[in-house]
Amino acid sequence: MTRITRREALTGTAAAGLVTMAGFSFWPGQSAAQDQELTVEDVLFDPANPVMGNKDGDVTIVEFFDYQCPYCKANHPILKDVVENDGNVRLVMKDWPIFGAPSILAAQLALGASSLGQYKTASDALMETEGRLSKDLIHDTLALAGLDVSALEKAYEDSREKWDGLMARNSRQATLLGLQGTPAFIIGKTIYPGSMSDEALRDAIAKARA
Amino acid sequence: MIHSQNLKRFALSSLITACLAVISMFLSGAPTQAQLLLTERAAPMQVADAFKLEVRDRDDGTRELTWEIAKGYYLYRDYLAAETDAGTKVPLVSPSGIPKDDPTFGSVEVYYDLVQVDLAAAEGPVTLTYQGCQEDGICYPPVTRTLPALAASAQALASIPADKQPIETEAAKDQGSQLTLSQDGGLIEGLRQRGGVLFVLTGFFAFGLLLAFTPCMFPMYPILAGLLSGQGQKLTARRGITLSSVYVLAMASAFGLLGVAAAWSGQNLQIVLQSPVAIYVAAAVFVILALSMFGLFEIQLPAAWTRRISTVGTSSGGTLGGAAALGFSSALIMGPCVTAPLAGALLYIAGTGDVALGAAALFALGLGQGVPLLVVGALGARALPRAGGWMQGFKLAFGFIFLGMSIWLIGRVSAGPEILALWSALLIGGGIFAGAMDLLPVNAGPVRRLIKTAGVFSLLAGAIMLFGAALGGDDPMRPLDRLRASAGSGEGPEKSVNFVTVVSRQSLEAALSNGAAKPSLIYVTADWCVTCRVIEREVWADASVQAALSQMTVIAADVSDFGPEGQAMLDQLGAVGPPTMIFLNSDGKEPPNTRIVGDTTVKAVLSSTGML
Repeated sequence: MTRITRREALTGTAAAGLVTMAGFSFWPGQSAAQDQELTVEDVLFDPANPVMGNKDGDVTIVEFFDYQCPYCKANHPILKDVVENDGNVRLVMKDWPIFGAPSILAAQLALGASSLGQYKTASDALMETEGRLSKDLIHDTLALAGLDVSALEKAYEDSREKWDGLMARNSRQATLLGLQGTPAFIIGKTIYPGSMSDEALRDAIAKARA
Repeated sequence: MIHSQNLKRFALSSLITACLAVISMFLSGAPTQAQLLLTERAAPMQVADAFKLEVRDRDDGTRELTWEIAKGYYLYRDYLAAETDAGTKVPLVSPSGIPKDDPTFGSVEVYYDLVQVDLAAAEGPVTLTYQGCQEDGICYPPVTRTLPALAASAQALASIPADKQPIETEAAKDQGSQLTLSQDGGLIEGLRQRGGVLFVLTGFFAFGLLLAFTPCMFPMYPILAGLLSGQGQKLTARRGITLSSVYVLAMASAFGLLGVAAAWSGQNLQIVLQSPVAIYVAAAVFVILALSMFGLFEIQLPAAWTRRISTVGTSSGGTLGGAAALGFSSALIMGPCVTAPLAGALLYIAGTGDVALGAAALFALGLGQGVPLLVVGALGARALPRAGGWMQGFKLAFGFIFLGMSIWLIGRVSAGPEILALWSALLIGGGIFAGAMDLLPVNAGPVRRLIKTAGVFSLLAGAIMLFGAALGGDDPMRPLDRLRASAGSGEGPEKSVNFVTVVSRQSLEAALSNGAAKPSLIYVTADWCVTCRVIEREVWADASVQAALSQMTVIAADVSDFGPEGQAMLDQLGAVGPPTMIFLNSDGKEPPNTRIVGDTTVKAVLSSTGML
């Protein structure tokens, strides 16, 4: 138990707050069967989380990421190339904002965009930003990508419970999985902490299929 | 490191089980063939191993935080933060980091290997937050650590008025400090470090000895003379020494009290002693002393006192008591006069808050000042002038010197043509009294001729000053500057140093960052700081100083409004009050021995700028 408590502290107050709000429980002590079911579904197939790549792909890549994490962003074009070239991979980008308020805002607006069918545009634009994010930079970036920021804000607000719940689950999962930070990949059923080269990604996909 | 080709659907939960060994206890029914799969690349360390934090508590309630950062890992400067339980930010002073130019993260300052950060004193537990990454690997979520409350910090804060407690500043949170202060604590701190307290005391004694030869001390001589001559024929050398010793000891004690007051009051005493009121009072005292020298009334106050006291007690004890009372009160009267040269010392003592050291240091200073008085006392009757014509002249000279002191003091508060006119009147009057307009007899001796020369010189100088004052000039040493300015190249004395004035820590940081890659001068000043006015007139107006500063970022840190903002700025600068000059080289570092505290000269400023 002590370990959980400490980890919880490590994920930061924002995450902790969201978890409490969501009231979503992963606490061990429930039946083992229930725990298994929830975890598997949630980590790879959370219904709320937008899916990129091939939605029916045979391998799922989950990435826990942050819009301000330098290695997530540096790694992103490589990841997209690999997913696109493979053609049979589901890509699930799980928001785990660890760099404070701007990261949370970016995640909220990107998820809002998902309600409007614009998730990929928003997410890609945010991942391509240079430097640290600010509210203005996020708004400008999304507007420049042809998105209506106030519409994204409204879309997020309209489904706030859904998106906050999703982020709470993500951060809870990261904690339970013992992820140390972003990026963290789960390919198939293997955890790969840290950024990955295209070769490493292809290998991991191949191993997941084998 | 282990690879399994055929994990079943439920394996993921097993994986969780493996990660969280503790949880697995609760999952007793879970499959046991769980295998944690990791890539072959070095797995990221546990965050506590990547960034090892050591906290050292200091006596004054501040803390020194040291992170030992594992190779291949770095810590972000911008994500260092600390706050109290109430959510108030606690200021951190962090060194500048290494710029990490990451195309996806922009330029950020990071720390490798080791970083040391100063955490200000705060009440109650402090929650520290920091964040870092593994190079080309992962970025950790923020780490929070709660530091238990320090007993010392509560005490330290309790003794500071609420408005002086460290305040949260955006700068402290967002960018930390852009300047690195020199670790040498200035001349006096240097003395203390080199030779301990005794060294400081010796230094102050020597300083007092120097002060003894400034006009501030002159009034002490006639006062002491009055005391000694009041003894009449009974005055023996031994008695003289005893009396003057008591006088000097009492004077030194008064200075000692000044030291106590300085240490207790912090900057407030500095404000009081430099207030225009105190200076006008001192100027008035000098005028009264001068009038007495001119014979308007005999300064028999000392004798009257001693008589009164001696009627109360035994003759001897009473006189000693009188000497003590005199010494004590004359030191207090001279206080405002010596404050200017003392400003630096008082600031230092106020800064340390060390009452015992403050008292001892100023006591030593008072003793140093008293050395010439002791000599006079020892020589006693022989040294004391008997009535005579030359004695009259001597008293007149003193009278003019006292009037000059008075004008000098007033000039520190308000400068202008009026002051120059006063100087002119003084010089003309002095010249006339020296006999500038009197005819010398043909057979006049060299001394009389010299005196007349001085008188004529004084008369001419006074006339020129009057002319300068009429032109609107205000500098006694350059009364005709206006003339030159209007006729000359247009580079008039008006030209001064163009300071960027800042009143808070944030604006100071902003001003510093604007002047990147240039050396800078931060000049701590205030409206109520009289010494600062003098510096403005005498140092900033100097052409060579202006030339030296033209290549620098010059910032005036104005603490006139002495609130928490100003205090935060002073804390950041490691300064205790105005006037203080902090010189930073182009790396934002303060080279050792460049800081100037208190009254200063063109030469000292040029020497400091030369070391950048």
